[in-house]
Amino acid sequence: MSTAAGALKRIIAPALPLMLGLSGVLWALPHGLPLWRSVSIVSAWLGTGLLVGSLLLMVRVPRLAALLGGLDVQYRWHHRSGTVAYALLLLHPLALAVDGWAQSPQLAWQALAPWLLSWPLWLGWAALLLLMVGLGATFSVDLPYRRWRALHYLLGIGVLCGLLHVWALLGEPGALWPFMLLAGLAMSWRLFGVDLGIAAHAYRVRSVIRPAARMIEAVLEPCGARMKPVPGQFVFAAFGDGPNFHGCGEFHPFTVSAVGADGSLAVGIKALGPCSQHVQALESGVLVRLQGPFGTFLSGWSAGAQLWIAGGIGITPFLAALRRDRCAYPVALIYLYRSAQDAAYVDELKAIAEADPLLALYDVCGGGLPDFVALFGKVSDLRERNVQLCGPVPLIDAAREALGRHGVPADSIHFERFDFR
Amino acid sequence: MRKLFIASTLVFGLAVCGFWLASAVLTPPEAGAGVVQKTTEPQWSAEEVARHDRPTDCWMILGREVFDFSTYLPQHPSDPDVITPWCGKDASEAYLTKTKGRPHSPYADSLLPKYRIGVLK
Repeated sequence: MSTAAGALKRIIAPALPLMLGLSGVLWALPHGLPLWRSVSIVSAWLGTGLLVGSLLLMVRVPRLAALLGGLDVQYRWHHRSGTVAYALLLLHPLALAVDGWAQSPQLAWQALAPWLLSWPLWLGWAALLLLMVGLGATFSVDLPYRRWRALHYLLGIGVLCGLLHVWALLGEPGALWPFMLLAGLAMSWRLFGVDLGIAAHAYRVRSVIRPAARMIEAVLEPCGARMKPVPGQFVFAAFGDGPNFHGCGEFHPFTVSAVGADGSLAVGIKALGPCSQHVQALESGVLVRLQGPFGTFLSGWSAGAQLWIAGGIGITPFLAALRRDRCAYPVALIYLYRSAQDAAYVDELKAIAEADPLLALYDVCGGGLPDFVALFGKVSDLRERNVQLCGPVPLIDAAREALGRHGVPADSIHFERFDFR
Repeated sequence: MRKLFIASTLVFGLAVCGFWLASAVLTPPEAGAGVVQKTTEPQWSAEEVARHDRPTDCWMILGREVFDFSTYLPQHPSDPDVITPWCGKDASEAYLTKTKGRPHSPYADSLLPKYRIGVLK
């Protein structure tokens, strides 16, 4: 993909909610009204449009994610547009109160106090409070995933209350029709197609190996239509039941560690949370529902000399690439892991490196951040290499900073965030 | 985004508290400001207003004031379906947030006193 095409794709995700917001403002643009009443109307329609755009950006479909420059880009703008919409919608009742203030403080308070208002306005208050609680949960990074997800659903109910509030006040759907249609489609697809997995591909676990402590690699074969992932991509998997295994049924992202010619694929699963811990007991024959593939990581890796830096389970996309093809260009692979018990695939990687003269492997065992100065000293022509990073966020951040200090241009450094909360 | 969420929520909460305090502490201005209640004029309960919920007998609450729009309804520029559902109800918010094509201009505001029949109990 060219740089221009990539840049264009990255504009689509923010442009989508912005265009919806502006179209709402254009339709409702007030004329001849006092300033704060106009501010209230504009903030309400801009916020509503952004909120509907945010809903569209939560729809997890491979083609849509690819169009928007990747699922991480899509979700980043889902969060941003949703939060900006929330701030604008908070401004809406406050601006009405400020407008009433010109006549009296009592009238200003009457524009806000729910017990002085009617049911359409209670819906508006319910929407704001649900958005407040739902977004508060969204930003609580320490909240257990299942509780976080349950509270996140409040946002959907909040959006519905908000749209009904507008409909009741308008007395007619008017410009709200397209917003309600888009919101309804987005939420239905997200709930039934994604969260309940109706649109998922059916696979079955063919085999399970344990390449390191608290980690498994499962080979999955298609039961019907197959996906066509490439190295660097990831899938969302929900494991079902087997003779001695009961899956947790939730979709979680796992990076593809191998792509088979027969349509099979492998995923590496590290025990990082309750569900992935539970999946460590996975066995052959279990049915799996897969969504994807997603991600653009490694999509341009064949263009010139490379430096790959992997931390722990972050080795899987590189492993998938090395398992599929020999290197077309010089590749320096720095593989960092905490202890010998965590050294997944090291023997296999060493065997690949011995057979491929273009691959130089540097495996580093130890906790904490590595000595990047010493490591980068082993890599020739560092500044001319394309750098691909995959691992924990602190490692990626530290590596980016160290690479910058060594003169590697920022646009030569590629990574994807895998925090999909 | 986390900072925006926290800041906007805090400002909103403080502003709502501020409006409540101001309405409780500050004395209402004297009569003549348009929405000011006159203690001597008729006072209507919301239940009484709710009985006048037909296009031919249409009362509405705007703020703390009560209006009889029965004779005005045929002159209203929009589709009757837009305004008649508000007969017998509190239409304050709908009046304040009309949108493109149906702005309530200063001219519309100037018409209100003609239809004013009292204040809310």
